[in-house]
Amino acid sequence: MTTLSLTVNGEPVRSEIDPRLSLADFLRENLALKGTHLGCEHGACGACTVVVDDMPMRSCITLAASCEGVRVTTVEGFDDDPVVTRLRQAFRDEHALQCGYCTPGMLATARDIVLRHDRPDVEQIRAELAGCICRCTGYRGIVRAIAHVIETKSQATEAKAGTT
Amino acid sequence: MKAPAFDYLRPATIAEAVAALAEGAGGARILAGGQSLVPMLNLRVAFAETLIDIGAIADLRAVVDEGETVLIGAGVTHATLEDGTIGDHWRGMPAFVARDIAYRAVRNRGTLGGSLCHADPAADWPVAMMALGATMLLAGPDGERALAAKDFSVDVFTTALEEDEMLTGIRLPKLSPSARWSYRKMRKKAGAFGEAIAAVVHDPARGFTRVVAGSSAVGGPCRLEALEGAVALGSLAAEAAIRTALAEREPDLDRYEMQIHATCLRRAMKEVSS
Amino acid sequence: MTHTGVGASLPRKEDDRFLHGRGRYLADIEMPRMLDVAFVRSPLAHAEIVGIDKPEEAGERVFTARDMDGVAPIRPTSNVAGHRIVGSPPMALTRVRFVGEIIAACLAPNRAQAEDLAEQVVPDLKELPVVASIDAAMAEGAPLVHADWGTNLSMETRFDSGIEEQVARATVQVTRTLDMARQAMVPLEGKGALAHYDARDGQLVVYSSTQSPHMIRNALCQCLGLQQRQVRVVAPDVGGGFGYKAILHPEEVIVAWLALRLKRPVRWLEDRFEHLTAGANARQHRYRMTAHADDRGRILALDAVLTTDAGAYSIWPHTNGFDAIQASGILTGPYDIGGYRVRTMTVATNKPPLSPYRAVARPGACFAMETLVDAVARAVGRDPVDVRLENLVPAAAMPYKAITGKEYDSGDYPASLRRTRALVDAVSADPGPDRLIGTGYAVYTEHTAVSTATISQIGVQMMPGFEQAAALMQPDGSLEIRVGVQSHGQGMETTLAQIASEVLGIDPHRVSVRHGDTALSPYSTGTYASRAVVMTGGAVAAAADKLAFKLREIAAHMMQCTADDVRLEAGELVGPGASMTIEEAAVIWHFRPFDLPEELLRDGLEVTGGYRPDGDRAPFAYAAHAARVAVDPELGTVEVLDYVAVDDCGTRVNPMIVDGQVLGGVAQGIGTALFEEVPFDDQGQPLATTFGDYSVPAASEIPMIRLDHMETRSPYTRFGVKGVGEGGAIAPPAAVVNAINDALRSTGAELCAVPATPRRVLQAIFDAEDRAAGKKEAAR
Repeated sequence: MTTLSLTVNGEPVRSEIDPRLSLADFLRENLALKGTHLGCEHGACGACTVVVDDMPMRSCITLAASCEGVRVTTVEGFDDDPVVTRLRQAFRDEHALQCGYCTPGMLATARDIVLRHDRPDVEQIRAELAGCICRCTGYRGIVRAIAHVIETKSQATEAKAGTT
Repeated sequence: MKAPAFDYLRPATIAEAVAALAEGAGGARILAGGQSLVPMLNLRVAFAETLIDIGAIADLRAVVDEGETVLIGAGVTHATLEDGTIGDHWRGMPAFVARDIAYRAVRNRGTLGGSLCHADPAADWPVAMMALGATMLLAGPDGERALAAKDFSVDVFTTALEEDEMLTGIRLPKLSPSARWSYRKMRKKAGAFGEAIAAVVHDPARGFTRVVAGSSAVGGPCRLEALEGAVALGSLAAEAAIRTALAEREPDLDRYEMQIHATCLRRAMKEVSS
Repeated sequence: MTHTGVGASLPRKEDDRFLHGRGRYLADIEMPRMLDVAFVRSPLAHAEIVGIDKPEEAGERVFTARDMDGVAPIRPTSNVAGHRIVGSPPMALTRVRFVGEIIAACLAPNRAQAEDLAEQVVPDLKELPVVASIDAAMAEGAPLVHADWGTNLSMETRFDSGIEEQVARATVQVTRTLDMARQAMVPLEGKGALAHYDARDGQLVVYSSTQSPHMIRNALCQCLGLQQRQVRVVAPDVGGGFGYKAILHPEEVIVAWLALRLKRPVRWLEDRFEHLTAGANARQHRYRMTAHADDRGRILALDAVLTTDAGAYSIWPHTNGFDAIQASGILTGPYDIGGYRVRTMTVATNKPPLSPYRAVARPGACFAMETLVDAVARAVGRDPVDVRLENLVPAAAMPYKAITGKEYDSGDYPASLRRTRALVDAVSADPGPDRLIGTGYAVYTEHTAVSTATISQIGVQMMPGFEQAAALMQPDGSLEIRVGVQSHGQGMETTLAQIASEVLGIDPHRVSVRHGDTALSPYSTGTYASRAVVMTGGAVAAAADKLAFKLREIAAHMMQCTADDVRLEAGELVGPGASMTIEEAAVIWHFRPFDLPEELLRDGLEVTGGYRPDGDRAPFAYAAHAARVAVDPELGTVEVLDYVAVDDCGTRVNPMIVDGQVLGGVAQGIGTALFEEVPFDDQGQPLATTFGDYSVPAASEIPMIRLDHMETRSPYTRFGVKGVGEGGAIAPPAAVVNAINDALRSTGAELCAVPATPRRVLQAIFDAEDRAAGKKEAAR
């Protein structure tokens, strides 16, 4: 067993864990944050993507033990995030989800695309989404939702400035 | 698909990590970003008695401009190289290569050193680093040593690292402003490993040209010196010469494999020569 | 109130929970004292089980087939004459017949520890010879998958309308052999099951990631010898199904049995490795097709042989013959063809059992027919779209009785193709350097909402009958709808509420749709065959009709008029001189019974409605698709630059959701066309075991698909709807390969197999080069 201290969705967490535990299993089993989904457990599908120190990462191939001292945000922790708030509305409007299984990972990835790119075109958004499999939607709604949020990014940036 | 049990260490310095490796006597493995190792653990195709997580060693993320060369810490991530925040002395080639490695979420954890040590024959960095003429810095119980990229790469999933050694940094010679490069990768879909890779770097001011191919089919990165003369002269290597060079490296390439490697090489050389 | 009924693109009621991580999938359910299962699976494709070595301390933690005494084998049934049929035993007893077949179940408090235990269980296997392909299985003296059959041919069917007369008139014969590879279905959430015994209710409760809770209950009762009332099956949120979760998995039986045996909750979660190996069970058809046509490419007769590589067992309930039956029944597609002869062979091999995947066999059938039509067009030197227009069933011929016996109810097939062509032509595409560009088309028609007659003919255990829905008016006038189908992405919590809204005028936000639980839902065979909006939509409307009548009676009594005088308008019960809301009527029944006569009180405001299309006739949806691709003829890579689909699923209840179904289907179809394949070596070892080898297309591979719709009402269904869940997946393999062949026309190459991987594309080019070189050689 090894000791782990980190921040999850703004709350400090300290836990004794089996070192082989993945971050995904730690979030799901130890903290009951079931919104992080496992789709492949080898880093290829993107369903388990969470935000670690402001970067999207695969929680299925990140050991929980490696996360000493980091800040993790899962889909349950985005409620005060202005970008994700806009993405949620856009996902609804553009029918960017069906079964919902990929959605938490898509949101974490989409947030990163919105924040990291100024004016990506559709081709760039598609390329940035290469690591996230959605088996239901055919992706068009997801790409459109992200494009829409980027188009209105200046407002989102203002909103963010307003909250800090 | 859950990893088998192992002991876990998280040293704070390179010295502690090297000591832990010696202590592990072959049963210990270095965990860098883990973006290849953890999936293999999950699939139970890789095992370790002890994992030595080097993620807390700040020195491994250092980048030092040494004048003619830059020393890049082995723990620098693909994403850092993609974003070019370490400065660009290679006319954008590392950023270009990094951008097409797996996916951003993987690039945020995966490291240059981890990829080189894992030595997947289809990986990008072993090919790119050989083409750029990198030198690998290794730390072991008897101190440090340096190895050229071509000597570091031994075989498929095999490097020259001894079991008590770790890679600490990559010394990368700067390119001159007149240098040209091309990096061509044929892959089945975005983010997938290359089916065929060709890297060409031509720096007349520094007097070198390197043509490197890579992939599982050719058994990892290989320098094709026979093709370098034509690039240096600014002419095009004949298709037959490309195929001969590939066949010398790997006689068992089938028609499809030969075709995709030859095409990537020809296009890369043409791009540099034109 | 804005329109919220049929035809409104209402945002989905489901979305909020999924966008906040509040869905509850199988793996999210926790129970005290729960054990996780890891299975020991066969590493060999064919072997005799000599013994199984368990660790000494295993005790009640490792179970094999020998422990499962009294559990009946899974027994699918079939009416097809001579169909040799073997269900899969939950665990292998004496013999394993594919890599991944279950040998032992290992239990531990978590999955990691269960896998540790599984590593210590060593089966002693005596290797037997393997047949891993159609050719190997059908070879003279081939090893037998089931020795007592004396053959590997599991099922053979023949149909012959008589084609001699047409063949005699034909001036052109075109023959092709076309292959579709074996695939995994890859719902993003794996299969899973969690069972526990509820001692208080005396009930086995099985949570299953399934599309068909009642069907799973049927099968579990058969295997475990329980009465239906003793078993409850619950499907929580399901992370994609696509047919993979419409079948009984042996793991469900094992987990249920373990829960009964141990009196503890037991859970199995399929991981991706298990899915790609043991669950690699879809498609894999080979067609030998001959078109007999005239000089203009009018196809007079089709002569076909279809062989499916069907794996080692028959899945429940569909059997291994479902693909062959479906494909041969629809192979002539949307065309008016006068003569048809087909022979199907369903061949047993040492692979996982073949199962129906989204659109079942139709992507294969469409691929075979539509690439053949392109070959006919090339043979007669005409444009493939023009040849199609000449062969398609014209709108004036509807309803049209096809040579297969199927009745196509309605639609304008040529119009959908013309519209598709116009949309494709309106946008130009730049292939970039080193690439060739091509455009390909495909048209299909699709039997949706499979009928009772069709299933009874085949004799499998999923009799659709009448679909039921319950509508329960709550005391406050809000409404609960209970249905037996299961929604796992189709948005039925929204569309079925819209249908209730259409009938009752009730705000969909005052309607809850409950599904996926045998304890709550009316009996149903579940969600498959593009049936839910037709069957359950109709049933919800029927239940809502009944409720509407009762509400009108209550209102009429209160308003002192007759029910005929009361209309339901936008949630209001409007009489000649007064009106009341649905809520007021509900309150009167529940809280003011003294105001109503006994006959209005007696039957209450909780009703069940039943439905099937008029005369048990299935509606046929259809579409024309087009792909524009860029092919790199030196690397064999293909990029889909543009994709257009013009479909007709009759009336669209929620156009936004219809778009989503088509888009998702097309993306899966592009996966079939270009990427997805589990190859097996000649020893039956699966060669794509992770997403590193099994490529599922992402946004980077799927273009921004363009859609348009036609809306021809079905004459047989409520609201004129037709099913739409599967159709998108049918045409892409055909459209994409036709586009590739169009791009490669200058090379003389013709691709006849999917997925069109770089290796296959280049091989087609090499073959063309070799043919040209051979000709040159011969000329010299």
